[in-house]
Amino acid sequence: MRSVALQKGLAIAVPALVFGFLVAAQWATLAAPGSRDVGIRYIDPLTASLGRLQDEQTSLKAQLADVRAKLDQLQRAGAAQNGTVRDLSAQLDDLKRRAGLTDASGEGVVVTLDATRAAADLTQDRLPCFAPDLTDIVNAAWRGGARAVAIDGERIVASSSVYCVGGTIVVNGSIVSAPFTVTAVGPTSSILAVVDDPSQLSDLKRRRDQQVVDLRIASVPAVTLPAYGGPVVVRSATPQ
Amino acid sequence: MRSRVGGAAVAAVALLLGVLVVSQFRSRDVYSRSLEQETPESLTTLIADLNDRNRQLREEIFDLQLRVDRAQSQVSGGQGTLEESQRQLEQLEVFSAQSRVTGPGISIRVDGPFDDHALSDLVNELRNAGAEAIAVNDARVGPRSWFAAGANGDLVVDGTGVRGPWTVRSIGASDVLYVAMTRTGGIVGQFQLIYQRTRFTVTRENALDLPPLAAQ
Repeated sequence: MRSVALQKGLAIAVPALVFGFLVAAQWATLAAPGSRDVGIRYIDPLTASLGRLQDEQTSLKAQLADVRAKLDQLQRAGAAQNGTVRDLSAQLDDLKRRAGLTDASGEGVVVTLDATRAAADLTQDRLPCFAPDLTDIVNAAWRGGARAVAIDGERIVASSSVYCVGGTIVVNGSIVSAPFTVTAVGPTSSILAVVDDPSQLSDLKRRRDQQVVDLRIASVPAVTLPAYGGPVVVRSATPQ
Repeated sequence: MRSRVGGAAVAAVALLLGVLVVSQFRSRDVYSRSLEQETPESLTTLIADLNDRNRQLREEIFDLQLRVDRAQSQVSGGQGTLEESQRQLEQLEVFSAQSRVTGPGISIRVDGPFDDHALSDLVNELRNAGAEAIAVNDARVGPRSWFAAGANGDLVVDGTGVRGPWTVRSIGASDVLYVAMTRTGGIVGQFQLIYQRTRFTVTRENALDLPPLAAQ
């Protein structure tokens, strides 16, 4: 008797649960940003062009890394032939490290940032721009004594800029995607002391508390950041 | 009768539960944007920017390949790579802000209340416009420079207080830098709206002289 009642209850509850799931999922899909847009016929070809340019950029960065490695190899060979070049090599190694042209490894702090789904639903017509937040996090990491910082693997160097085009972030001329990850290599305790300081990143933390952004901060015992892979442009500046 | 009411209650609760499970899942889920959600205008800007960056990368590869060929010939001749090493040393000293530098560019004088976030944004904008070397008054901005608010309205660059009025000097293609800063809707225009008691003056400069980064 009890078994029959249970079967009846399940026969009603399971389809109702599935129905509720489907109703909510469908509603959320219809409300998602972008799905209301109609007649934007150029999105697909433009996105395809962008994809091709990104692929080309990946290939160019690999070529650049290759030609830089060849030049380094030749310099080492040259140093073996010439004492002055040998002396300069040590200075060059130090400058490359300072400039962000070498990999950087060690303990560090990883900050991840994204909009919450709830916030995105509220700002359907205007994708959120996180560039100022990312530059604030980078600033806090340097202030905390970081030796190297990268946003989604793009090393921050003297020529780096972070900006938004719509809701897309461009770092070092490369598109980076959400969730955004700022990784800082350096003394974990002092970087965390700055990042966790309530007076720092206060706007970001307020929006985290309002569940507008998803902000996570974690220390890592070991991490490696790749060297800067972009051009080193010095045309107008002359050293004295 | 009782059984029907019970069944309806179970169904209603299950329906509500289904909605709540999905809503909760979605509210915790982060929202990952995709390029398909950008407008055609934004996509066109991104294409132009990526084209520009890829052009820079091709130029850099071409330039370095010439240097590789020259260095190869010098090493083959047993002369070492002195010329290449000296050239790279000068370039990296500029890029890492370790040397005093001169060159054309622009200066932006900021006379009035200003803050560290705005200074950071200004430096970011100058870098985006191609600035090769930047200084705030006499404080050179380096690859790891940071900005903070100081006492009495001062700004702090790498831990050192810098008192206003501030002059942000940057070396680079002066016309490009000038237009990037002063264009309609550009950063200086935005500052003028936000800091209404502050005067911003942007000037093209034929020869700027910036100090090296302070010892860190």
